[in-house]
Amino acid sequence: MTEGSFPNLEALPRGPLTMALMVQLEPPPLRRLLKKGLRRGLSTAELRQCLDADWGLALESESASSLLKALQDRRWFISSADADVWKTHLGS
Amino acid sequence: MTQIIAVHSFRGGTGKSNLTANLAASLGLQGKRVAVFDTDLASPGVHVLFGYTHEGESLCLNDFLQEDAAIKDCVHEVTPAPVKAAKGHVFLAPASMDSDRIARLLREGYQVEKLNDAIFALADALSLDYVIVDTHPGINEETLLSAAIADYLVMVMRPDSQDYLGTAVAIEVAQRLDVANIQLVMNKLPSQFSRDEVRLRMQESYEVSIGSILPLSEDLLTLASGGLAVLEFPNHTWSTAVRELAQALLEASPSA
Ligand SMILES: Nc1ncnc2c1ncn2[C@@H]1O[C@H](COP(=O)(O)OP(=O)(O)OP(=O)(O)O)[C@@H](O)[C@H]1O
Ligand SMILES: [Mg+2]
Repeated sequence: MTEGSFPNLEALPRGPLTMALMVQLEPPPLRRLLKKGLRRGLSTAELRQCLDADWGLALESESASSLLKALQDRRWFISSADADVWKTHLGS
Repeated sequence: MTQIIAVHSFRGGTGKSNLTANLAASLGLQGKRVAVFDTDLASPGVHVLFGYTHEGESLCLNDFLQEDAAIKDCVHEVTPAPVKAAKGHVFLAPASMDSDRIARLLREGYQVEKLNDAIFALADALSLDYVIVDTHPGINEETLLSAAIADYLVMVMRPDSQDYLGTAVAIEVAQRLDVANIQLVMNKLPSQFSRDEVRLRMQESYEVSIGSILPLSEDLLTLASGGLAVLEFPNHTWSTAVRELAQALLEASPSA
């Protein structure tokens, strides 16, 4: 993993995600992930690829799990219960 | 796969709505299925170019965003005759022109994510080749979303110092969102300006590709958004250049 490329999860703001917030989020791979989760969302395979390409992380790794948990807790990036899709969620 | 084209500018009046409608017609003339979304909900206008008028019960984008109407019921076919002859289709998701509804939308807001979902749901329902999103000028939630989900971001500017500065801001924001393909379009270039000098200045100012340089046109001014230049004056320099831009987009996305 490149130094500084992984977000400080503690420091991520707590409120709902807006596009204005997304533009300001650091580091860039986090923006990239949330942007890719717009449109039709990401399949698990696409998410895997995205985590690997930007962070060299396996989906099952501890870092990836804590990242996804932090995003799910904020309802910014949500996995669907009935379909294989991870979607970025804007607003409350 | 449906390609999304967002047409944006930092400042108002650059020609976004005229370009959106004429690009839609140009792609339609190539037999493509195109939908235009008027996301300029505070000051809609692109419907005028298609001669679309809001009638009685007909639904618009506001009904989807604020009333949970189905998106396919908020979209209307506006295919001009020459496009129909070329087996193309143009659909329009117009925004409300009712002042109370505009005020209500601004007051209450809506979930911008619905706009994202509407675009992709419609793309599937109508088997669209292209969705063109006409935007409000400047940076707000809708324009950021439109840029973020676009396969192509067409950024329109005039040869004006305010536009040069503002466009830099808009491009910087788009680049933070990793927008892959930004096409810069200069519109309303007066004939006394040198195209080469303008192109050079654009190249020096921004590290994005230059989609087109379109002249200031007396005919467009006279048409006054009362029709589509690519159909009314097909041989005009402006129209030819817009068709070429559409062709370039087609060639860049052959699967659409
Ligand atoms: N190349 C041109 N030459 C002359 N007039 C033009 C040209 N392009 C657009 N116009 C005129 O400029 C005006 C603004 O155009 P248009 O509505 O397309 O801009 P816009 O960027 O959508 O504006 P807004 O920001 O208000 O949505 C219209 O009157 C239109 O006819
Ligand atoms: Mg407009």
